[in-house]
Amino acid sequence: MTAIELPEIELTGPVTAAKPCALHPQAMCPAFGALRVLARIDGAHPVMATDIGCNYGLTFVTHFYGSRKSLLTHQLGTSELMQGDVVEGTRAAIEMAAQEPGCELIPVISLCVAETAGLPEEMLPTRVGNAEVVLVRVPAYAIYSHPETKDVALSTVLARLGEQDGPRADKTVVILGEVFPADPLAIDHLLRRMGVEQTIVLPGRNVGDLRRAGRVGAVAPLHPFYNRTITLFRSWRIPVVGGAPVGISGTYAWIKSLGEMLHLDPVLVNQIAEAERAAAQAVADHQPIEGTVLVTGYEGTELAYARLLIEAGADVPYVSTSIGQDPLVLPDELWLRRHGVRDIIYRKTLEHDVAALDAFKPDFVLGTTPFCNIAKDRGIPALYFTNQLAARPFFLSGGMAATAGFVRNAIAGGARAQWMLDFFAE
Amino acid sequence: MPNLIRDIPETSGYWGAVWTVCNLPDIHVIADAPVGCYSLLASAVSNYTDAIPNLENITPSFIREAEVMGSGTWPAVENVYKGLHETGKLEGKQLIVVSTAESEMIGSDLSEFMGRLGYNAKFFHSESLTHDEWTGRDRALIWLWENYGGNSATTALEPGLVNIIGPTYGCFNAPADLHEIRRLVEGAGGRINVVFPYEATVADIARLPKAQVNVVMYKEFGHTLANALERPWLYAPMGLRATTDFIRQLAQMLGTTDQAERFIKREKATTLKPIWDMWKGPQGDWYSTTTVGIVATGTYVDGLRAFLGDEMGMPVTLTAARPLRPGDMDNIALRKAIHAGAPSFLFGSINEKIYLSEAGNKMTNFIPAAFPGPIVRRALGTPFMGYAGTVYVVQEIVNRLFETLFNVLPLDTAYGRPAGGPPVAAKPSLPWQPAAKAQLDAALSKLHFLTRISVSQELQMAAETYAHTQHLSEVTPEVVEAVLAGRQGERR
Ligand code: SF4
Repeated sequence: MTAIELPEIELTGPVTAAKPCALHPQAMCPAFGALRVLARIDGAHPVMATDIGCNYGLTFVTHFYGSRKSLLTHQLGTSELMQGDVVEGTRAAIEMAAQEPGCELIPVISLCVAETAGLPEEMLPTRVGNAEVVLVRVPAYAIYSHPETKDVALSTVLARLGEQDGPRADKTVVILGEVFPADPLAIDHLLRRMGVEQTIVLPGRNVGDLRRAGRVGAVAPLHPFYNRTITLFRSWRIPVVGGAPVGISGTYAWIKSLGEMLHLDPVLVNQIAEAERAAAQAVADHQPIEGTVLVTGYEGTELAYARLLIEAGADVPYVSTSIGQDPLVLPDELWLRRHGVRDIIYRKTLEHDVAALDAFKPDFVLGTTPFCNIAKDRGIPALYFTNQLAARPFFLSGGMAATAGFVRNAIAGGARAQWMLDFFAE
Repeated sequence: MPNLIRDIPETSGYWGAVWTVCNLPDIHVIADAPVGCYSLLASAVSNYTDAIPNLENITPSFIREAEVMGSGTWPAVENVYKGLHETGKLEGKQLIVVSTAESEMIGSDLSEFMGRLGYNAKFFHSESLTHDEWTGRDRALIWLWENYGGNSATTALEPGLVNIIGPTYGCFNAPADLHEIRRLVEGAGGRINVVFPYEATVADIARLPKAQVNVVMYKEFGHTLANALERPWLYAPMGLRATTDFIRQLAQMLGTTDQAERFIKREKATTLKPIWDMWKGPQGDWYSTTTVGIVATGTYVDGLRAFLGDEMGMPVTLTAARPLRPGDMDNIALRKAIHAGAPSFLFGSINEKIYLSEAGNKMTNFIPAAFPGPIVRRALGTPFMGYAGTVYVVQEIVNRLFETLFNVLPLDTAYGRPAGGPPVAAKPSLPWQPAAKAQLDAALSKLHFLTRISVSQELQMAAETYAHTQHLSEVTPEVVEAVLAGRQGERR
């Protein structure tokens, strides 16, 4: 496991006036990202290697946000560690998982305590019965954010399962990113009109999709943190489409470059790109967002959301995220800086966001639950980024309409936040 | 043989300790933790167990690879301390540094460093690689007393004062149960001294020995502190008999027996009247045929079994305490048992709910009664404990029976047909082979009796229709099997 370099946080503009003391990192337990995408695969029965506190917390959020899937682990406490039972316990849990009906994949998720104790891969089986056993190492102390462990998990299982043999499906595209269920349908529909034969959504629900993903014509990442997965696709000589179909300009550029990459009919592609651009523009023209919005989540998608909101008319002076600075986010970062965003913070902490709240006096905040708590304490309307934005379409013109409409409504209801504050302050 | 764990029902000593000490607003905790052990506890899980947006008096040392690989966690803790100190976050607070499984894993015992920090800093070794959350709470409570408390021998008692020792974050239904226990204590003639730690500050810890009696809310923790306080103490009660005994015993200790007897009498005519009315009404007739299962803390398992089983006469067909007590099923065994069949009502956590849904069981009523699982239990009117608890629990059960009944009553089939479609032609009924009838009866016997009549009609019609489509002149066991299989499939 190599450490992820934490970049120097670059602060410019008003927030820098007093560089905040960064004490409270804002990130879901990083390992959750891996657990979530693996638990959602049909026929996958995850086994965790960890202590009971970690196990409880991660199982809790997986059963809430991931899947209704029973999760197995083995006791890993003082006596097991003293006796060196980490491997033996993991193997026993794997054996039990393999007995689940329809079990095809057993991801072994090795977390902080097990990683510190050591869990040698060669001591674990690679296959039991019909199931592939894949070790996924996600010690949270070495990976900062949960989006990044989605990438670790996906690239690890893909490296095992992705099929290289057999004919290429040149007109099949992998859509890469966990998104609202209506989004891949809309994207698939649009791509088929352009001449694409099939799309595969990863990380998805299907082991077969993981296998077929090794032979597709192109991969289109919707999120900017699938670094390892993209590297893997590149090693398979599968081209990667840059950008994402977000907002007015983003959607247009994405459609054009995807069309070019797959050698689709340029006239048709252009027609569709123009039509999407016009539809997105109409959203911005007819129901623009008015007001100042802070976009401060921990999902790794914050830059793209900020971009959409700005195109829809919002003033977004500040964007923060839990992921690190990476070449993949650079295009969005440059675009945002050109469009008036003063501060973009990677690896953010609560203190960064609070400093922005002081500096920018927003009309509306999209943030983590601790930060929303603070904003509402000041009578500023705020919504939890993860729960709210993940629950509606985001991509293409339809996503723009849904997301912008939602934010417009939230700002319009802002007076309620002040009323509640006054009520409880009295 | 390694000890396998399925869907772990309890967390570690670190969680229990932090969920205990962070109730005190004038304590600040530095959790010697990687980012996830902090954020899961302080927001991701507490958002949905206790409906609090964020635990504000905890900061992580933020263990990263450097700390794991050699430097140890002290420099990180010291750094965080400086930040907290400089930003004034420790003003007026007592500082506690709490270990986690990971800091223990890398051997980080920071006790000797505490002298270098201000704010009366102390190190709490949560022993998370050994202890579960309940032991963690118990240890944290006695530790608070030993570190910030007074002296039981020299503190003068104040007659009539009662402490409630118990609720912390992560205790299912704590606000409502606490509200009810407080009401009972006051009804019995007591006055509340300290609710510890739920409503306490550090200064209150020294006041604990003033109370004449302690009430310990849960069997899982708090007894060690209660013993150390050297005052008589009682467990909080569940059910009619235990609650009445509790009030009487407490009154005897406080010398308020007359007041307590008046209270009990008044309660029977007010709070408890619905129990008596439903006992005499149609609802009471259902108790003896409605089966119940309970998977929750030992406190709730014992309390609900005594009330619903012994007092109301409901057959309690499945129980399992969390944490496990000798002889209880763990989740591996419990899951198998629930897949094989479940009682009409199952009190439990999200784990049992998952096992029911895996089995395609829609007939069992699931009633939340334990963590884990996201649920809001902040209303004061939903206790399981005390007199009010008996009424709430029975009301819940009866209303869910009504709901079940509603869902199985026949709906005129015309509503399911497309408008203007042809009416369904009546078919002559078919004879049933005895084996087929026996099979139907066996399937029906697994259902709650309230739903049996409706489901029986539905299955008979389905079987006969299916037999007609197969051009059979009677209903055979194969037909019943096919219909039951189809029904099972639908439910999945
Ligand atoms: S031990 Fe590591 S993986 Fe587990 S909750 Fe803590 S930070 Fe997350």
